[in-house]
Amino acid sequence: MSLLEVDRINTLYGDSHVLFDLSLRVEEGEVVALLGRNGAGKTTTLRSIMGVLAPRSGQIRLDGKEIGGLPPSAIAGLGVQLVPEERAIFAGLTVEENLRVAALTAPNAWPLARIYRMFPRLEQRRKAAGRTLSGGEQQMLAIARALIRDARIILLDEPFEGLAPLIVRDLVEVARSLAADGRTMIVVEQNVAAALSFANRVYGLNNGHVVFEGTPADLAAAPHLMRDFLGVGL
Amino acid sequence: MPSWPALVSQAFNGLALGSLLALVSSGLTIILGTLGVLNFAHGALFAVGAYAAFVMLQYTSSFVLALVAGCGVMLLLGILLERLIVRLFYDRPDEDQILVTYGIGIVLVECLRAAFGGNAQRVAVPSWGRGATKLGFLIYPTYRLQLIAIIAMLLLGLYLVLYRTAMGLVVRAGIENPLMVGILGINIRRAFLVVFAIGVVAVGLAGMLYAPVVAVTPDMGANFMAQSFVVIVLGGLGSFSGAVVGGLIAGEIISLTSAFNSSYSDVMLYALMALLLVLRPQGLFGSEGRV
Amino acid sequence: MNAVRPRWLRACVSEFAVLATLVAAPVLLARIGFSVDLLTRVLNWGLIGLGFDILFGLTGLLSFGQAAFFGVGGFVAAYLLVSGTLASVWLALAAGTVAAGLCGVVVGWLAVRRIGIYFTMITLAFGQMAYFIENSPLSKYTGGENGLPGVPVPVLGLGPNAVRIGAGLPMYLLFATIFFVGYVLARRIVGSPVGAVLRAIRQNTGRVAMLGHNVAAYKLAAFVIAALYAGLAGGLLGSFQSYMPPDAFSLETSGQLVVQTIVGGAGTLIGPLVGAAVWLWLRDNLQLVPGLAALWKLVLGIAFIVLVIGLRRGICGEIIHALNERRNRAAANAAAARTAVIEAAGGVAAIAPARQAVDVTLPLPPAATGTCEIALEARSLSRYYGGLKAVDGVSFKVRRGAIHAVIGPNGAGKSTLFKMLLDEVSPSSGEVLLFGDRLTGAGVSRAAQRGIAKSNQLNQLFPNLSLRENLRVAALARCRGPLRLDLWRAADSLPEVERQVDAILALLDLAPRADTPVHILAYGEKRRLEIGMALATSPNVLLLDEPLAGMSPLERAATCGFIRDIARGRTIVIVEHDLDAIFGLAERITVLYEGRLLADGAPDEIRRNAAVQDAYLGGLHADEPA
Repeated sequence: MSLLEVDRINTLYGDSHVLFDLSLRVEEGEVVALLGRNGAGKTTTLRSIMGVLAPRSGQIRLDGKEIGGLPPSAIAGLGVQLVPEERAIFAGLTVEENLRVAALTAPNAWPLARIYRMFPRLEQRRKAAGRTLSGGEQQMLAIARALIRDARIILLDEPFEGLAPLIVRDLVEVARSLAADGRTMIVVEQNVAAALSFANRVYGLNNGHVVFEGTPADLAAAPHLMRDFLGVGL
Repeated sequence: MPSWPALVSQAFNGLALGSLLALVSSGLTIILGTLGVLNFAHGALFAVGAYAAFVMLQYTSSFVLALVAGCGVMLLLGILLERLIVRLFYDRPDEDQILVTYGIGIVLVECLRAAFGGNAQRVAVPSWGRGATKLGFLIYPTYRLQLIAIIAMLLLGLYLVLYRTAMGLVVRAGIENPLMVGILGINIRRAFLVVFAIGVVAVGLAGMLYAPVVAVTPDMGANFMAQSFVVIVLGGLGSFSGAVVGGLIAGEIISLTSAFNSSYSDVMLYALMALLLVLRPQGLFGSEGRV
Repeated sequence: MNAVRPRWLRACVSEFAVLATLVAAPVLLARIGFSVDLLTRVLNWGLIGLGFDILFGLTGLLSFGQAAFFGVGGFVAAYLLVSGTLASVWLALAAGTVAAGLCGVVVGWLAVRRIGIYFTMITLAFGQMAYFIENSPLSKYTGGENGLPGVPVPVLGLGPNAVRIGAGLPMYLLFATIFFVGYVLARRIVGSPVGAVLRAIRQNTGRVAMLGHNVAAYKLAAFVIAALYAGLAGGLLGSFQSYMPPDAFSLETSGQLVVQTIVGGAGTLIGPLVGAAVWLWLRDNLQLVPGLAALWKLVLGIAFIVLVIGLRRGICGEIIHALNERRNRAAANAAAARTAVIEAAGGVAAIAPARQAVDVTLPLPPAATGTCEIALEARSLSRYYGGLKAVDGVSFKVRRGAIHAVIGPNGAGKSTLFKMLLDEVSPSSGEVLLFGDRLTGAGVSRAAQRGIAKSNQLNQLFPNLSLRENLRVAALARCRGPLRLDLWRAADSLPEVERQVDAILALLDLAPRADTPVHILAYGEKRRLEIGMALATSPNVLLLDEPLAGMSPLERAATCGFIRDIARGRTIVIVEHDLDAIFGLAERITVLYEGRLLADGAPDEIRRNAAVQDAYLGGLHADEPA
């Protein structure tokens, strides 16, 4: 039994049908990348898992138990944590307060020291208000909020978007070390190279369907596949 | 041109009135910022507080004890109102929330009228507040000075709750982004009850503290509520610091204007609100587009 | 079912019913505790309520300050009479009404700039301000706390045979007549094009602005109408009581109006009248019951809370709703069934497979454009949010008549760019030119009037109106300009507008569904309507924001065909993620990447462009991971 099973979900955004019978699975300790053009349904998939959008039909199972339809706070309590695309840092709270809020309801919250060891930059900026952080610092904080909860599955929505290449390189290092530690993650990214550098398996999405499932090696061996669902057409 | 002592006296009045408004408005603004509900029962709750003091003082001669007991009453009332009625309206449009809280206000005022009659009641100034204090060239009622001090402490307490406790952290984060707070595993609806209760206790305390200054009638809160709307617009919707600063400014505007021409004092405040809404609707500390 | 009765008769059922009620009321209702004087007061509240219902029930603007206009009308009329300035009560009433209207213009201009609870707070503040002004600074004229006694009653006729309208039945007849006239006028306003726009504003204010209507002006019109009704009622109250009370200005009065409207039913025009009857009857009759004397308002308050919680439509509203449900149930079920069929079939059941070339010249002529060959031009457009550069120095040109696509990976800035093209969002720097004239700074409504319209990614429709009514709101903007106060004609009485709506319905293949409420339609139909709404403004430039979002493959193909049809004679700019569709459709493609222009050219050039491939694949060919 996989840690997370998404079983033929159909999710609507308003009355727009975005996901069509979408299925995927994530094993414990695995990093799964969701690739596809925007509009393909990648963000909607993550939001469905987190309970922000309830699927109209289909099931989402964590450890075999159905979690579809539960509110986000309950799903977070079960160990799932979303790092949203817009990061959603609390602008008026300091870095440390952002972390403390995240840790409030986590039974096995990391000590702040451990977070600061991993992200020394955040320790330097611990008293700074969220709105004064740079893009890279905000992304670090957003990931740190998920980590401090000791989440079982971390859902990363476009973590490298809009960041300078050097920062992306640093964050990829962080992601790789988390993967090496055996942390389960689902990564949605348009930066294919970065995502494939630490993913174990890949799903390709197009227009709300899964059109590809395989390993990074499978993808590298068949570049036309990527052109199909990622690129700019034949 | 009024005399110097008259002006200074009014400045102190402004401080007293301003502190009251600050307390009333901070309750209103955290309810609005966190729950998204503009509480049209706020004025009625002010009156309930004043009557609570009136009732409690018939059982004890200690003003402080009466205050504490009164707070208990307001707390209970706040919990009941939120659980029974307000809770049903979080997902309903703004106008429905305004309407139901307005209805609650009517019911509360009429209950007061039925229980105590429409005639003014008097609440005695506590023994330690009687008389006047000499401040330089000015002789000023002692109780009003104590009022300012007590409210300052209460607002400090509220500040500590908001900025030094876990609950306050949740409230401040929730004012910004309730969805993200949920994603981080916090059931924000549970926080709503606490915030509403705090807001109700705050405005009730204001009523209790104001009771010795003025005649206690069921309708006494209506004008305060209207003024507190101006204050939260001035300070920025959802901003605690805005409510405090805005309240003090509003109190001074009303009092100082009345030193010059008492018939314009209230008018000035509403004219200020009109000006703000045209020029700077987010107020002093609010952010544009929050509401 | 009603085909036998002539249309004008059907349309006047309400008016006849109200007239009959007004005639019968003093006789029938006297037995149950309604004295003639009480009925007169009820009518007075009903009169204010007519205007208030147009503001709140129709347009959705909740005002807690109507007492200000009630008081202004009353005190201006009373003062003119009591001071001897005017002898004719009729003139004084007119003067009071006009004065209230003028105040309405001033207060309304300030109030309608803000929405939601801001609006309500502003109206409350102004109501309070008026109360305090009456109480003190102007007490010389208003009598301050004492009010103005000695207001005379109106007189019918001239000279020695003039008849004073005395207390009791004559006064009731006066109020009833004025109320009836006010009701007929209000009905006409509600049924006019202005009423249609106001109703749409309540459901989706932003969309109304995007179609080209001057929303603030329409809201102000509703506000002034409410002020006029209130002012007239105020003046009448003074005559009725021979005394103008200061509490006419109070917050209590404004609140009573709101409660009565909710109890009776907002949006029904007669709701406030019914609510006033309930309120005043309870007040007068519960007083007589021993033990309950002081509790009438408590009872009312509890009833009000219960109504807001469970019976939000109020007495008349719930009755009318139940009647409509019964009458329309068959049609509604059929419509819902049809929707289910369409959705099951992949959304295209209604579109015939082989489409003939459709003539897309619309009945309403588009805005004049001059001879400029470049329909739309972006010049160094930039938009910054704090430190984030959403769009950074983008320039490109869209030729007249072309289908031009804007593509780019996530975060490229496409939606921000689109909003600037329409002036929905102001650029931080740079400008947009429409046929050579600067568009930036004009605002969405004026942009629509100049001939540029957008179809949104998320449907922006009026869900409770029918398809036809939705399109009519759009066409009314093209036909009547940003503001026209045609309050007396019927909304569907403009033949050019109706022809336009019919043409769009035919184009969208949605004619059989024309009278279905939009919220019942299938998703694909709503998407088509979304495009149709933009089209109904006869635009020269049509911006399509992800027109294929959420569509099945069959629907996509049909929509692409549709876009090709409407592109004839028009300039189209599309933002889309479905690149296969784009490459089949667009004549020219602009690629954005991280807020900057990456490439701009014909589809083949773009396909072969390595930089574009890189951008989409996230730099796969660039730094390979170690």
